[in-house]
Amino acid sequence: CSQKKTLEPKMPSSLVKRVFKDYVKMPVATESFGIVEKCTKKYFKRLWSDLAAFANHAGRKTVEASDVEVLMRRQRLVTDEIPLHVLIERHLPMDYRKLLIPVAMSGNKVIPEIKHK
Amino acid sequence: MRRIVPRTALRKMVKSEKLGLRLSACADLLVYLNFLLFLRRLAEEARTNAFQNRSRIIKPEHIIVAAKAILKKSKG
Repeated sequence: CSQKKTLEPKMPSSLVKRVFKDYVKMPVATESFGIVEKCTKKYFKRLWSDLAAFANHAGRKTVEASDVEVLMRRQRLVTDEIPLHVLIERHLPMDYRKLLIPVAMSGNKVIPEIKHK
Repeated sequence: MRRIVPRTALRKMVKSEKLGLRLSACADLLVYLNFLLFLRRLAEEARTNAFQNRSRIIKPEHIIVAAKAILKKSKG
């Protein structure tokens, strides 16, 4: 237990493994997963510094959803043909999709309230 | 696919990496989405590499080559 605390927080490796396996649709050598995890680590390192730069530029200390959207635009993940909400619909589980995409509810309510649109 | 987003893990990662930086309520989900798409790109690239080398399974070298290209693409 004490050893666990000294480790720096990272994405759970079982998750990384599972997701990667899902996407390749091909047999993967066992050693490969270690490499994938290393890549994830590098990826996150860059991600945090990018997001920090974006938030800083806007004079904020909190990374907002719009910062991430700008980042994804720069990564060419979000384009004019593929807007962000399409990606959300395709890739995120339903429970989380509800938090990101406003859903019209009865009684003329929209949940969540639209802020960043 | 797993249905749970490790939101606390993401927040902890920010904290350990960048002191004083926080994620807003929805931003962590988008970060997770970004991470999924990164892995998808990586997987696709690795698969093409494996095909080009006539390999039936994904070996570490395929991923290393793919990672170089994809990490470059995910620069912000």
